[in-house]
Amino acid sequence: MEGRLPIGVGSEALNDLSRSAESRAPARQDVALGRRAMNVAVLKTKVEQALTENFAAVEDQFPGGAEARKVRDAAIGRFGALGLPNRRVEAWKYTDLRNALKEVLPLSTGDKAPVTGSDVSAALGPLAGIDAQQVVFVNGAYCEDLSTIGSGSAVDVRSLAEALSLPEATALLSAEGRDDDPVLALNAAYATDGAVVHIADEAKLDKPLLLLFVRAGTEPCFTVARNVVSIGKGADVTLIEAFVTLPGASQGGQENAATKISVGDGASVAHVKCTIDALNGTHLANWLVDLGAHATYNGFQFTSGCKLLRNQIGVAFKGENAQIDISGTFLVRGSQHVDTTLVVDHAVPHGTSRELFKGVLEDQGRGVFQGKVIVQPGAQKTDGMQMVRVLMLSPDAEFDSKPELEIYADDVVCGHGSTSAELDEDLLFYCRSRGIPKAQARALLIESFIGEAIEKVERDDVREALAELARQWLAECGSTKRT
Amino acid sequence: MLEIRDLHVKVEGEEREILKGLSLKIPKGEVHAIMGPNGSGKSTLAYVLVGRDGYEVTKGDILWNGESVLEMEPEERAAKGIFLAFQYPIEIPGVAGLTFMRSALNAVRKTRGEAELTTPEFMKLIKEKAHKLNIDMEMLKRPVNVGFSGGEKKRSEILQMEVLEPSLCVMDETDSGLDIDALRIVAEGVNAMRSKDRAMLVITHYQRLLNHIVPDRVHVLADGRIRKSGGANLALELEKSGYAEFQEEAA
Repeated sequence: MEGRLPIGVGSEALNDLSRSAESRAPARQDVALGRRAMNVAVLKTKVEQALTENFAAVEDQFPGGAEARKVRDAAIGRFGALGLPNRRVEAWKYTDLRNALKEVLPLSTGDKAPVTGSDVSAALGPLAGIDAQQVVFVNGAYCEDLSTIGSGSAVDVRSLAEALSLPEATALLSAEGRDDDPVLALNAAYATDGAVVHIADEAKLDKPLLLLFVRAGTEPCFTVARNVVSIGKGADVTLIEAFVTLPGASQGGQENAATKISVGDGASVAHVKCTIDALNGTHLANWLVDLGAHATYNGFQFTSGCKLLRNQIGVAFKGENAQIDISGTFLVRGSQHVDTTLVVDHAVPHGTSRELFKGVLEDQGRGVFQGKVIVQPGAQKTDGMQMVRVLMLSPDAEFDSKPELEIYADDVVCGHGSTSAELDEDLLFYCRSRGIPKAQARALLIESFIGEAIEKVERDDVREALAELARQWLAECGSTKRT
Repeated sequence: MLEIRDLHVKVEGEEREILKGLSLKIPKGEVHAIMGPNGSGKSTLAYVLVGRDGYEVTKGDILWNGESVLEMEPEERAAKGIFLAFQYPIEIPGVAGLTFMRSALNAVRKTRGEAELTTPEFMKLIKEKAHKLNIDMEMLKRPVNVGFSGGEKKRSEILQMEVLEPSLCVMDETDSGLDIDALRIVAEGVNAMRSKDRAMLVITHYQRLLNHIVPDRVHVLADGRIRKSGGANLALELEKSGYAEFQEEAA
């Protein structure tokens, strides 16, 4: 399971792809005009074909036995039927993946390049200061040398590759009722590794558990990680996922990550994701969260990395009286495209949900936020509130927001809001009139804007590390240097 | 010395002049008051002094210590010692009062070539000054002016003024929104700052603030110009006669 598998589309094929995309345009129109009923086959893009064909070529080398293979086959079948979503698929209207993905990079199942602890610390930046138990993956494979955790009575961590060889492994790759999601289907089909974590009932973990996904090496590659986390009743745990690129490594890369997490009754979970990968990569990810009764789940996503990024978050209330807070901040510059798509499903009564996302858009950066809150029939006394606020620092930036409430119960309190604004000139002037130079005043105001979301992170060390990441981003960001 | 020479100002993009040849001199060590009816240009004068965007000086000059400030950015003017206590202090969500004041003080000190204050030095300074103005330290841990009452905002402005120790203090309608006790506290703060090295300009509509901060000179601003100047007694006269005589002239 070491080394790269030669399944990429070559550069010739890529050129060919861009040409063929143009020539195929009329065929697409036909579909759009409703001729699908006439059995006009939907042409596959080169990327879609490559994703399906490459799978067959490397299937023998994936971890897991015959049962797992069946699940992977089914998943790639689903992907083949769905294809890459384009803007005509409602959930993807602002992120046209079919158009955006121009190539498939070679799948990586690990890298022999030696990676040291100090390399990892450098890539983590301020996050390195968090005293955590680390589980490290380098280019898609578990790295035992850098990991600081084994199995214990409170926590059991093993790699997905290992776990897939155990009985009942197929559940680790299941679609969880999300058969319509091509990104998740690709994840199940291609998952090379990840963390399988069991937290025992009533376990209280002092240190956060850090799942660290490192990109290394000068050749960009395709990595697919899948984490499956089950948290026992009454447990109390902080789980951090960090996606980072080693200094000097390729700025590109494609990443498909999924984390399934089931939160036991009465458990309390803080789940932080920090994507600070190099700026040329693609990151497509899913969080799938199931909540037991009286559970508390605080999710937070900090995003400043990658060129094309979509974080899908699905939370399902399975037991009554659970409460969640899902918040985050996205810092977008250059030509980055950052999409957060959230679905909160109140399936049972007495659930409480809060969401606060704050984005800062610079240059030609594009932010997308789609937040859907569903209150199922009978989910009475649901209390849901969602807010997304974006600061536009550049006239060329774009923000698309689609908040949605679907309420099928009559005794609920739900609301949502979405704002985008420029930096307030009055505030800026007030700071400057007190002697704070313009650049510093801008940074102070932007930091405080982001701070409202980062404040949601309860642990001091994690919150401070994220605040420092935001400050570093601001210092690098062109706008604060403008005078 | 503040010297304003034949200052003409209009709002950017509009034709109508707001200040129409205002001239004024305030030597260091003196407190001057500008009184005038609504719409006479009082707040415009305050904003132009500190360099707020949106105003255009079409003629004249503002000299501070012999140097024109018109081309200076607001932060440069602050570093030169010019301070405006706002009529409507601005709320800054997410920025704690202490952080804000420390950033401002250190920025100003840095520009002046002075060393930044350490945290203990800064805290000692703030505690002393806040106590005199009857400002709770807890209030300063909250975001600047957010959720403050009108009086708290004004006291917070005076605290900033005391911390930054400017050499030209401009106070725009500092009495508005203050009850009598708050007015006394604010006035005591201002009086304590009177010094031979400091010029002060108190802008007000009503005479009552001038009972507490007794000015060396009083000027009447109406229709964009100084129409009358005199000693502290002029304020008392105005309280009786009102601004009618100046407004009629203007009409």
